Amino acid sequence: MNELKIVGKSINKIDAKDKVDGSAIYPQDIYLENMAFGVTIRSTRPHAFIKVDTKEAGKIDGVLKVFTYKDVPGKNHHGVVLKDHEVFASKKVRRIGDPIAFIVAETKEIAEYAKNFIKVEYEDIPAVFDPEEAMKEDSPKVHDRDNVFYHFKIRRGDVEKAFKECHVIVENVYKVPMVDHAFLQPEAGVAFLDEDGRVVVIASTQYPHFDQEEIAESLGVNKEMVRVLTPAVGGAFGGREDITVQIHLAIAALTLKRPVKTVYSREESFLAHSKRHAMKMYYKTGALKDGTLLALEAKIIGDSGAYASWAMNVLRKSAVHATGPYYIPNVKVDSFAVYTNNPFTGAMRGFGATQVPIAYEQQMDILAEKLGLTPIEIRLKNCFREGSETATGQVLEGFVPLERCIEELKSF
Amino acid sequence: MEAIKPKNLEEVLEYKSKYKGDAKIIAGGTDLIIKIRKGEENPKALIDISSLNELKGIRETLEYIEIGPATTFTEICECILLNKNLKGLKDAARSVGSPQIRNRGTVGGNICNASPAADTVPPLLALDSILVIEGKGKKREIYLKDFFKDKGRGELEGDEILTKIKFKNPLKNQGLGFYKLGLRKALAISRLSFAVFLEIDEMNRIEIVRIASGAIGKFPMRELEVEEYLTGRIINENTIEEAETLLERVIFERLKGRQTAKFKSIAAKGVFKKALLNALYLCKGVNDFEKN
Amino acid sequence: MILKKIEVNINGRDYCLDVEENLRLIDLLRDKLKLTGTKEGCGEGECGACTVIMGGKIVNSCLVLAFQADKSRIITIEGIEEDDVIKNSFIEEGAVQCGFCTPGMVLAAKSLLDKNLNPTEEEIREAISGNLCRCTGYNKIVSAVKKAAKLKRGGDGE
Repeated sequence: MNELKIVGKSINKIDAKDKVDGSAIYPQDIYLENMAFGVTIRSTRPHAFIKVDTKEAGKIDGVLKVFTYKDVPGKNHHGVVLKDHEVFASKKVRRIGDPIAFIVAETKEIAEYAKNFIKVEYEDIPAVFDPEEAMKEDSPKVHDRDNVFYHFKIRRGDVEKAFKECHVIVENVYKVPMVDHAFLQPEAGVAFLDEDGRVVVIASTQYPHFDQEEIAESLGVNKEMVRVLTPAVGGAFGGREDITVQIHLAIAALTLKRPVKTVYSREESFLAHSKRHAMKMYYKTGALKDGTLLALEAKIIGDSGAYASWAMNVLRKSAVHATGPYYIPNVKVDSFAVYTNNPFTGAMRGFGATQVPIAYEQQMDILAEKLGLTPIEIRLKNCFREGSETATGQVLEGFVPLERCIEELKSF
Repeated sequence: MEAIKPKNLEEVLEYKSKYKGDAKIIAGGTDLIIKIRKGEENPKALIDISSLNELKGIRETLEYIEIGPATTFTEICECILLNKNLKGLKDAARSVGSPQIRNRGTVGGNICNASPAADTVPPLLALDSILVIEGKGKKREIYLKDFFKDKGRGELEGDEILTKIKFKNPLKNQGLGFYKLGLRKALAISRLSFAVFLEIDEMNRIEIVRIASGAIGKFPMRELEVEEYLTGRIINENTIEEAETLLERVIFERLKGRQTAKFKSIAAKGVFKKALLNALYLCKGVNDFEKN
Repeated sequence: MILKKIEVNINGRDYCLDVEENLRLIDLLRDKLKLTGTKEGCGEGECGACTVIMGGKIVNSCLVLAFQADKSRIITIEGIEEDDVIKNSFIEEGAVQCGFCTPGMVLAAKSLLDKNLNPTEEEIREAISGNLCRCTGYNKIVSAVKKAAKLKRGGDGE
């Protein structure tokens, strides 16, 4: 057999040399001739109607323009699945951190100074921070619709009947908090017009092709008029899947016809991008005397915060993974994505599969304890093997080495 | 804002007498620069003392060890003059922030910022340190334990600066122990810390004990009730346990009404014990009481 | 804004510069001298991405005002030799992912190895404890520093 040249070999990362030299270019490292600088005004209230007065700030020497929703040439919206984000908040803000205006000035210092002269009048309205409260009919509505915007169901076998046959049933509620990606490079970007009049946006992003569409739509131009370049990206972990700097920069560069740069501080970065979904997980798991799992009923509520982002995909994944890697013949799972006035949540490593193990693995340990089994015994008894069928009916073919993995743990 | 880099202490005092409270002393800047950028401090002038040799370094005189306020935490960690009986001071300095922070941050800043969580203050309190404070044409001394007035405020007039920290060099049968509880190893702001200065005789009788806590009240302070209880007693598991119980009560009283009262008063027992045992180890060269 | 004149040696080159009084060292390096290998990750001394060597010691350049650096010697990532073993070890051990922490990590490692060519794992972890990395989980960085130490001692790094 010919020896493989790449597979099985350790190869050096293609851009590692530039990165150890410090010559790799991240968006904040770009300095262009005649470049202006932008800073974002963000909501300081979680739920309020707003009136914005930018006149004073606009008069400051060195301020080129203060952009608000009125200055968005195309659609004032974006969003990876639902277009529920506004480029700039128009009538109301739905969370702390919603962008309201973008001040572009000759220098960063002037733009920062001008921030003090933007007047935002907030008329607070009742807000909701607990997803279960938000699910109630009379709760404050974050958008002009029901706060529950996604409900995924798994139904397999007869859970009610199966629980009656169980020797032991364990019922618990698990809660996991939001988590920030805290990628090391805060958001930054530069936009300018190229020789052909196209808007070029350089930003650290996970989806240049999505960004291109979203920017074009907000500019009201064809996609071909927008180029998105991705330089070095300083970590992302899902936190750069939603729009942050891109559209603001594009609008500013197109309007002012000069390069515009923005760099977020760490604090603003926390305000600007998504978080991992906080979840509340109601779990009821039943097993026979010998440890065989018979039934699972779970309700998983995901806090989507003010915007949907990837919540449908994330909560679907949570439901699909709700049994863990264990065969259970009777399963009833309901997962919900709910709007609140919290920071919005979206993609983060694991994408909904990370939260549920906190629940299902603890359920396994508690069941084992009640049945007098070791944690390893109960897992070996129920773990997926080649040919196992998951709760959604998928038959696992090919390589399923979980049993071996658990066996290996015996020695620890 | 005017940035000033004086050539010597005399110039510093001159500028201080001119600007008074409007001028801020900057050394390591690890707190001040963040505050200025956040708009929490807005001084008219910054007087940089970070490279003033007069205010840096550690010296030994006949009776005292003297530390210049612009001495960095790293310099304290690496100083050979601070012998092993002063391990608690080095441990505290080593527990500050990160290597980068320790290379810039200074002991004088730690004292003058008067943060409740200042890491090197409890050991300096337990050493019964004296501060030398100077202004143009004036000089005074004050015990560190009398220096703090409120959270973030020490007793320093607008025209004065801290010029020296001094304490008695410990004898062979004396030792300074320190222990800190932080949320992680590096860059952790102290949740709770203790420093214990101890002198015992051959019979394990406590001749002198000074206990200082950090991050419990408005500023680091001495735990006088526990000191009083322990003084003159033979140190053994019983007395340590009694002292812990007393400490728990004292701290719970002090923090009453705060959410952290219960946690801190219980955790304080363990942190105090570790600091005490560290001190005992230095006095005796062995650790008789740590079981495991 | 009053300007202050400073003299500073950066990567072996002498500069005489007029700086704003509230300008930070990191802004001087990046915005004025375009030495953009020094990164800003937090601006509060928590992440260490802005690490430079000043007077032989690593410091957070976001917590030093430019005027304080007057008369000092500074080494940034751009001042590290092209074929430095630390840099090569980082590449070969897979210690580089997004790369934003890398310049600071390399300088923290250099500062350690300049003093100690035979560090324990504990000492390596302590030396990089002021530098956050969100990608690697640190293990590969630690192996890279170990390998570099060995190479500097004259071993083959394996």
